[in-house]
Amino acid sequence: MHSKVWDSIFRSKLPINTNLDRSLVIFNSLTLHIHPVKVREKAIKFSYTFYLGMISFFLFIILIVTGVLLMLYYQPAIPNAYENMKDLQYVVSNGMFLRNLHRWAAHLMVISVFLHMIRVFYAGAYKPPREFNWVVGVVLLVLTLLLSYTGYLLPFDQLSYWAVTVGVNLIQYIPVIGEKTKFLFLGGHEIGEYTLVRFYVLHCVILPLVMVLLIAFHFWRIRKDGGLH
Amino acid sequence: MCSYKTESNNENKIKRRKFLSIVGNSATGLVTFGALAVTIDFLSPNVIKERPPKFKVGPIQNIQPDTFIYEPEYRVFVVRDGNGAFYAISAICTHLGCNVKWIDSNIRNDSSVAIACPCHGSKFNRKGEVIEGPAPKGLQRFRIKLSDDDLIVDTSDIVSEEEMYLKV
Repeated sequence: MHSKVWDSIFRSKLPINTNLDRSLVIFNSLTLHIHPVKVREKAIKFSYTFYLGMISFFLFIILIVTGVLLMLYYQPAIPNAYENMKDLQYVVSNGMFLRNLHRWAAHLMVISVFLHMIRVFYAGAYKPPREFNWVVGVVLLVLTLLLSYTGYLLPFDQLSYWAVTVGVNLIQYIPVIGEKTKFLFLGGHEIGEYTLVRFYVLHCVILPLVMVLLIAFHFWRIRKDGGLH
Repeated sequence: MCSYKTESNNENKIKRRKFLSIVGNSATGLVTFGALAVTIDFLSPNVIKERPPKFKVGPIQNIQPDTFIYEPEYRVFVVRDGNGAFYAISAICTHLGCNVKWIDSNIRNDSSVAIACPCHGSKFNRKGEVIEGPAPKGLQRFRIKLSDDDLIVDTSDIVSEEEMYLKV
């Protein structure tokens, strides 16, 4: 069990025998000990991280706030979805502003997450003991892209329809489970009512939930490893 | 031999703690896998409101040789070739599912490009065979039947090239 991978994920050394071991379990726990013991001055200099992770997180907060507000005027149904989107632009007060804010924050988040990854790579910040946090970061990048992708269908215009048609047909090329996975994603054989609801639930509930949990873990790991405050 | 047997019996005797942990873990595993299977089953809809696979085109007198009709709802081309035979091919690109377009309806031979996909540039001849990738295979061919004066296209019945023609 004491492989490199295991030690990278779980920091507590087993077996736990002494009082020091027991206190280390508490120190290394996300919920019990979220703040770092010490922070190095160098680690919080702007030129070191360019605050790219923080910018990504801030954009995520903007996306949650604007997204929740957009949900109040949106129904994931055909043809309501497209009409609601048009209403948001031309009928709802400040709807256009909110929608654009959501869209641009999403674009910027993809860019900032990507730049963050490049920064971490060139700073060598993925090296031991931070390998597992790099893996979590990669999952967060994939989640960011999946959130963009699932959100793309929701306006239900021509662009959404064909982008998702092409995307879902990519899944079909997975050996053995491709057909079934495509069927589950679409909730049918082609894009329809069920697809819209499925993408809506993924976009608004499942993916953000996983994202929040992983972000918490990601931050906590940075703190424990002596990164940003 | 005898002493060895007694010793191994003692060693093989399952302690209560171990027994309970095996039972507990097995039950947890069973419930987890069961829950997973039931969830995947739940995610597959049993009733889908999709249109029926067959549709009607016609009457055939109105369709001239060397022309085609595009049925947008079903994404199917119903073609009448120079000899007067009918065939139906799908307009769904076999690469990633975009709608292909008939770019040249004056093509009479099978070696020229008649149909093209706007998404990634696949090219097909008038029978739906691939001339240029990335499409991995030709457009699907559907069985076509005559009922009175109308053509019935069955999109659930995919046929080979020999079977696709309906001679009238």
